Amino acid sequence: MSTTTSLRVPDAPPVLRRGKRRRSRRGALTGYLFLVPLLFGLAVFRFYGFGYNVWLSFTKAGAFGPARFIGLDNYVALISDSQLGVALVNTFRFVVVAVPAVVIVSLLCATLMQHRFRGESVFRAILFLPAVCLPTAIIFVFGWLFQTQYGLVNATIRSIGASPVSWLGSTTGVTVVVTLIVLYLSFSVPTIILYAGMQDIPTEFYEAATLDGAGPVRRFFKITLPLLGPSLFFVVLTTTISVLKLFDVVYLLLPPEQSTSVNFGMTVLYYYYQLAFVGIGQRGYAAAVSLVLFVLILVVSLVFFRLQRRFVHYGEDG
Amino acid sequence: MDFHRVRWWTYATVIVVGLLVLAPFAWMVATALMSTTQTLQATPSVIPSPPTLQGVQEVFAKLPFLRLLGNTVVVSLGRALATLVIASLAAYALAIIKVPGARIILVLVLMLIMVPGDIFIIPSFSIMAKLHLTNTLVALVLPNVFDVFGVFLLYQFFRGVPRELIEAARIDGASHLRILFTIVVPISRGGLIALAILAVLNEWKELLWPIVVNNDVDQLTLGPGLALLRGTAVTDWNVLMSAGALATLPMIVIFLLLQRHFVSSFARSGLK
Repeated sequence: MSTTTSLRVPDAPPVLRRGKRRRSRRGALTGYLFLVPLLFGLAVFRFYGFGYNVWLSFTKAGAFGPARFIGLDNYVALISDSQLGVALVNTFRFVVVAVPAVVIVSLLCATLMQHRFRGESVFRAILFLPAVCLPTAIIFVFGWLFQTQYGLVNATIRSIGASPVSWLGSTTGVTVVVTLIVLYLSFSVPTIILYAGMQDIPTEFYEAATLDGAGPVRRFFKITLPLLGPSLFFVVLTTTISVLKLFDVVYLLLPPEQSTSVNFGMTVLYYYYQLAFVGIGQRGYAAAVSLVLFVLILVVSLVFFRLQRRFVHYGEDG
Repeated sequence: MDFHRVRWWTYATVIVVGLLVLAPFAWMVATALMSTTQTLQATPSVIPSPPTLQGVQEVFAKLPFLRLLGNTVVVSLGRALATLVIASLAAYALAIIKVPGARIILVLVLMLIMVPGDIFIIPSFSIMAKLHLTNTLVALVLPNVFDVFGVFLLYQFFRGVPRELIEAARIDGASHLRILFTIVVPISRGGLIALAILAVLNEWKELLWPIVVNNDVDQLTLGPGLALLRGTAVTDWNVLMSAGALATLPMIVIFLLLQRHFVSSFARSGLK
């Protein structure tokens, strides 16, 4: 910034100061004008959208025609909806399996990135490839790899003499494939966030631990992991929320037409999509389902923040 | 003292991880160059023999691929630009003008970052329907350009702009808009680039919203467009992989050209 030196604040004369006050009032007006696009958009898509969604959840509404108010009927129906139960259980299963997988792999990759070795920059580029590619394409590749009859994975299994697995034909199979895809698509960003967190840890801690005879594994668990608190917390929270909202992977892997296997992987958002936009559309009920997911995500976030206050230490006061 | 000494197992792990990440890409390209019959062998061959562009031709026959690619470029750039303009204006009002009530708006922004708004597809859809915007490219981006995270990101950058520069420019009679574009934006370049990249990457990840709001294939981007290739009964995997490879290639090239910016924008998505 070469202009920095040439621009200096002169002492404002009294006349100018009065002008300045007027300017600042005008400045506030300009400021509100600057905020109009954002606030208007939020008012329409976030606040009106949310209110409309809540209202819809008390109505019986289809894809066509006006909505009819039915009180709490949708919420009563939620309780006995076994399909929603299936979707919730699947979503929880994906969270429980996929989130730890993402965290462990990105911790491993972040640790590897700390090392200085030949081909380091190539390795980094490779690590980020999955994050910059079209998820649709990646999901299809995995679908092809795990295809029952002609897929490469089953061919490998057959070649060692074992019997092939119907990957998309069981809960376990679907969980394995979905987890691998989620892992592949979403470990890159956590890796760089954890890596940045590791860079912030003072080297003196490592020096002291080494002098006390701690090996690399011990140093990782006693220093790196605890001091990574805030980054780790952020990674776990964002990954959990994104898996709670999982849609693309299951939708592309288990299309709605294949009704037999859809239930092995149907998530809450997928169920919501089916209710609202497939067939005749039960939008009122779907709105109630989306509020269940909404509350679920909020509760998970709040629980995480409570846990964070207890377990995550920021800076020196920890 | 070097605490990250490279041992043999470091190399071993790096090579294994690297190959595992590359393997799906390799398999995608290999399958893309196979004929349909080659993909349907009891014992699949890993190398296409002979390599053929039959799959690629099928992609162009079944999908308006170039149209989808063009749409992707337009929609991604449009989303990035609109997000930047809306977020910069708002962040300027909050961080530099500091309008009365800025704190409340900032709290609102932070709250909305934590609240998942993108799961309410039905309201957004009916808003688009009321505006007669369904089946347009505008519909793909409009609900997503009011990016509260982006506002917060730029707010942090704009706060770092030296106060004296702004004051001096004000005394010289520069308008706020002029100050935003000639002083604040250049200084906060890093933040703006990061936000633009995140907006583009998020657009590439969209699937649910596009398939709901646009059912005309001519108004879709590559991600949801490719989804249409998945057969209901039979899937030609070589066609699907050709489409995937064709769509992914330009993205990889862009990434490799702008790698430094991509990596720093990932780091910025950490909300710190």
